[in-house]
Amino acid sequence: MAVALETKVATTPPARTRSPWPQRLRQHLSRRWQLWVMLAPAIVATAVFAYAPMYGIQLAFREFDFEAGLTGGDWVGLKYFRQFFDSPQFWQLMRNTVLISVTTLVVGFFAPIGLALLVNQVVGPRRKRFSQTATYLPHFISIVVIVGMLQVFLSPSTGLITRVMEWFGVSGINFLGDPKAFIPVYVISEVWQHCGWNSIIYLAALSNVDTQLYEAAKIDGASRFQIIRNVDLPSLVPTMVILFILTMGGVLNTGFEKIFLMQNTLNLPISEVISTYVYKIGIIGNQFSYSTAIGLFNTLINFAFLVGANQLAKRLANTSLW
Amino acid sequence: MTAAPPTRRRYTRTAAAASFAAVLSLVLAACGGGGSDTDPDASGGAGDGETPNVSIMVIKHPLTKPMADMAWVKQLEEEAGVTITWEEVSADWDQKKNPMLAAGDVPDLIIGNNAITDADLATFGSLFEDLSDDMDALPNVQAMFDEVDGAQAMATFNDAEKSVPSYKKFWPTAITHQYINQQWLDALGLDMPTTWDELFDVLVAFKELDPNGNGQADEIPFDFAPVGTTGFGYFQPSALLGLTGMQIVGGGGGGYFLEDGEVKNFFVDERYRDVVEFLNRCWQAGLISADAFTQDYSTYQSVARGTGDTARVGFSWGWSGSDRFGPGVYEQYTAMAPLLQEEGQSAPVRWSYDFENLTRNHVTMSADPSDKDAVLRVINAFYSPDISIQVLFGDIGPNVEKVSDTEYKVLPPADANLDPSTWKWTSSLADNGPIFIRESMEVEPPTDLAEAVENAVPLAPAFEDLDIDKDVFPSLFLKLSAADQSTSAVNQTAIDGITMPAFAQWVTSGGATDGWNSYVSQVEGAGIQANLDILQTYYDDYIASKS
Amino acid sequence: MTTKVRYHRPGDIVFAALVAVSIVLIVFVTLYPIFFVAIASISQPQLVQGGQVWFFPRGINWFGYEQILGDQRIWTGYRNTIVYTVLGTAVNMLVTIPAAYALSRREFAARRPLMFFFAFTMFFNGGLIPTYLLYRDLNLLDNMWVFILPSALNVYNLIIARAFYENSIPEELHEAATLDGSDEFRFFFTIAIPLSKAILSVIMLYYLVQHWNDFFTGLVFIRDYAKQPLQIVLRDILISNTAFAGGAGGAGGTGGGYGQQYADQIKYGVIIVSSLPVIMLYPFLQKYFEKGVMIGSVKG
Repeated sequence: MAVALETKVATTPPARTRSPWPQRLRQHLSRRWQLWVMLAPAIVATAVFAYAPMYGIQLAFREFDFEAGLTGGDWVGLKYFRQFFDSPQFWQLMRNTVLISVTTLVVGFFAPIGLALLVNQVVGPRRKRFSQTATYLPHFISIVVIVGMLQVFLSPSTGLITRVMEWFGVSGINFLGDPKAFIPVYVISEVWQHCGWNSIIYLAALSNVDTQLYEAAKIDGASRFQIIRNVDLPSLVPTMVILFILTMGGVLNTGFEKIFLMQNTLNLPISEVISTYVYKIGIIGNQFSYSTAIGLFNTLINFAFLVGANQLAKRLANTSLW
Repeated sequence: MTAAPPTRRRYTRTAAAASFAAVLSLVLAACGGGGSDTDPDASGGAGDGETPNVSIMVIKHPLTKPMADMAWVKQLEEEAGVTITWEEVSADWDQKKNPMLAAGDVPDLIIGNNAITDADLATFGSLFEDLSDDMDALPNVQAMFDEVDGAQAMATFNDAEKSVPSYKKFWPTAITHQYINQQWLDALGLDMPTTWDELFDVLVAFKELDPNGNGQADEIPFDFAPVGTTGFGYFQPSALLGLTGMQIVGGGGGGYFLEDGEVKNFFVDERYRDVVEFLNRCWQAGLISADAFTQDYSTYQSVARGTGDTARVGFSWGWSGSDRFGPGVYEQYTAMAPLLQEEGQSAPVRWSYDFENLTRNHVTMSADPSDKDAVLRVINAFYSPDISIQVLFGDIGPNVEKVSDTEYKVLPPADANLDPSTWKWTSSLADNGPIFIRESMEVEPPTDLAEAVENAVPLAPAFEDLDIDKDVFPSLFLKLSAADQSTSAVNQTAIDGITMPAFAQWVTSGGATDGWNSYVSQVEGAGIQANLDILQTYYDDYIASKS
Repeated sequence: MTTKVRYHRPGDIVFAALVAVSIVLIVFVTLYPIFFVAIASISQPQLVQGGQVWFFPRGINWFGYEQILGDQRIWTGYRNTIVYTVLGTAVNMLVTIPAAYALSRREFAARRPLMFFFAFTMFFNGGLIPTYLLYRDLNLLDNMWVFILPSALNVYNLIIARAFYENSIPEELHEAATLDGSDEFRFFFTIAIPLSKAILSVIMLYYLVQHWNDFFTGLVFIRDYAKQPLQIVLRDILISNTAFAGGAGGAGGTGGGYGQQYADQIKYGVIIVSSLPVIMLYPFLQKYFEKGVMIGSVKG
């Protein structure tokens, strides 16, 4: 990495007087056309499938009027945004959404790193592969079944975990109903399910660590813990930074299905989040404009966090998305 | 690293460029290329001059077998002189529906139980045909409108008849029936309870005296269906509300009910608070299942089935005894009459008025059909006696015996492993179909339906001298405009967000009486008055149009 | 290889013991749910729900699997899913990897605006209805390519792959190659790709699983059942065995029918049937994570 940066400085072309843009463009294309060719399919796919439908965003500012066509409804400005902000549930929804997603993001960000470092320490390729495979398996269990299992394991009357907790003197907690238990149950089960899967990317990064570094560290008399700190961990930093930026872009994202399935009348004060609210509004009536507006609000907040994290990373770690 | 010979280099470059170009062209080709291939089946119309093709999207129950396997479909095609292309949907219809309607992609007919909802008609109304000027071609539908009170009103939206209901005459007025374990009562020498207090004492005895005699304290004296986060439904504690004199409908829903011509909501009614306090008393005494608020429906069902012939549940609600408690223990239970809130109460005793005989929006026709006359013939054929009975119960022959021109007998399941209702839902569209079982038809119903009807008998007094117009909230007949629909939906979501957690909280931890006033003002802040006003206006219009 | 490295200090031995204990615990905790799913899929559902099945199957029967595997549709579903997954992943890799490489070239002036162009679409989209209209105009409705083309590029994967190229391909290699007269195509094919097997296998796994689990596309954009993927078929089998929640009366009440009774067995069986192929694939990709096979050998 350090080497790469140095050479980068060295290869920066000497400052030139700026030529007119058509000429520069021609120059750029003649030198970089191969890169453009490599990018072309991705650019076309994105333009067609992601950008072309984006005109639909204006629905957030218009009345949905089927007769007048998707973009033909009356312009209502920020009406639907205001409707959301003025809703008596707004602050509760925001609080719950942020609380759930941030807890999940923080725990879900660090756990796979720890797991990858740990699995990397396992001696013997067979055992290592086995522990990798074992930890990644729960990722494939569907949400419906995960929630069904939570219900079986945490049932106040018969659940295995409830009983085990009773041995430890913790009793009388309804893990499925108590609002205080909702976030821990949600987050722990998320991590339990996805930690192994999410550590794959870090394991791949660890596989690229130059083995000479380990030898050198050993000769220097470093302990295993020191090797993890000084060799393994630094090699994960670039991946961590990128994933951190991406993670920040999900600050208002909570999975819909799992929360919805875990919801009940007892935990509703903490488990009602933006995505479940939009769903409930939608099933009673066709609320296209309102749900588009809420979705756009969500997106804007997420995007702002992404941009902020990106700037931060650019300044502190010299890494960024763009 | 050595430089490659120039020829090789040019080769790789060309090959690479070519492979990217290939990907690109793949993208474009797949997109544009298919323009000319049209599905031969889908192109309906009377192209060949003989039998027109009608496309029907049917929203059916997942158990239901393919349309092609139902014999009555052939009969329907012959009667209407068409061939039918079916598109069968059995899951996630709501998710499929929205983009389809918004894109204007509708088949000739959409069939299902409330498949196209009133809200859809308010938003996408122009996609669907107004049938009011086509009644000459629909004598069977006209017959239903003439014979069944309210059928035409249910079909009418903004003076246009866009969506035809179904009518079948057998279902009991109440869907939620009440059961108690008679064998437990007998074992403990207890009398059938008639009031809430007596019920409470019985439940305590169930809990403490080991009525199932297995030596374990595994009895659940009282269990109810899991209460959702968007209002009450069948088999839930809302069943107790009628006992305080409030005439709820459809299991309770969002709380709207009618009292002497005035639209009210029980969530802000003190009689509702009484019910909550009673449930809290039961909860405190450990009489209600500890899992009542957190279990899912299938757990709720399987717990009540007990083990072998040992029952576990004392008092509960369900559709029929055998459905609720399973073949092993259902004979221990007896259907119960409503309880009195207290001895000699002045308030009338009511029970949820569900009335599922007349159900809305079963068939909707495209405003731009492939062959209008042919499509109308199909609708009309559906509502004929012979087709209707087969749509509901299955083919004449294996499922239904036609005894005479007007008499039918529903046969027991041919597959001995199946119960009658699974058999019905497997064999045909059942309650999802467009049907008209008219008064002149005499039908011997299947055993499960007969059982449910019998289980409803003890509840019948609650419906006597009921003023339907003034005391039964006609929610299915109020056709809200898109704007009102939207306002009330947003308010209702906010209201549910307060009322449903409060219910669970009060039942499990108490505090209903102390917290009542601040709760009521919160619910008012969420817009309950606005919703009551909207519904009152529509109700008044509905009553005015009736007379 | 690390296996050759021996540690003898007491601290290291304690550390190794800690690692061993925690990995055993973690493996148990993560392996158990799959084990539970497996035993629940052959146990009597009432016993499972009553909290009586924890470590051994009870009331063993194979109804769930009979129901799932006896359904003819499932084989069409498998075939479709395999076709969509293989073809889709191939397109994904062809679109993503070269683009990621191009965006990692520091001297490529357009790379920052282009990254923004891509990243923007991770957040902003037009919504379902305009998308549906677009697919209709492109003739993608009810067309198998709808599983492949719209998802040709996953920006998240693009970013991951680009970060890898930026950080793991030494700049000096590119320079040396350029001096030797290599152009971008050649460098990409002969050096970048062989050096990035680890990340290629991760990205490939991500895409494979994404296609394998894709449920929504079939749900909304496919109407011809013969084109539906496995996930939709399994969903339908599952749903047709589920209880009529709250709906008796109007919805009938399936009563003592085995449909409802065995719904949960099917729920668990479906997990096994649908995930087994992907789970079995992992060890094959895993070998590319082995240490030191790449950079060292090329440099050496």
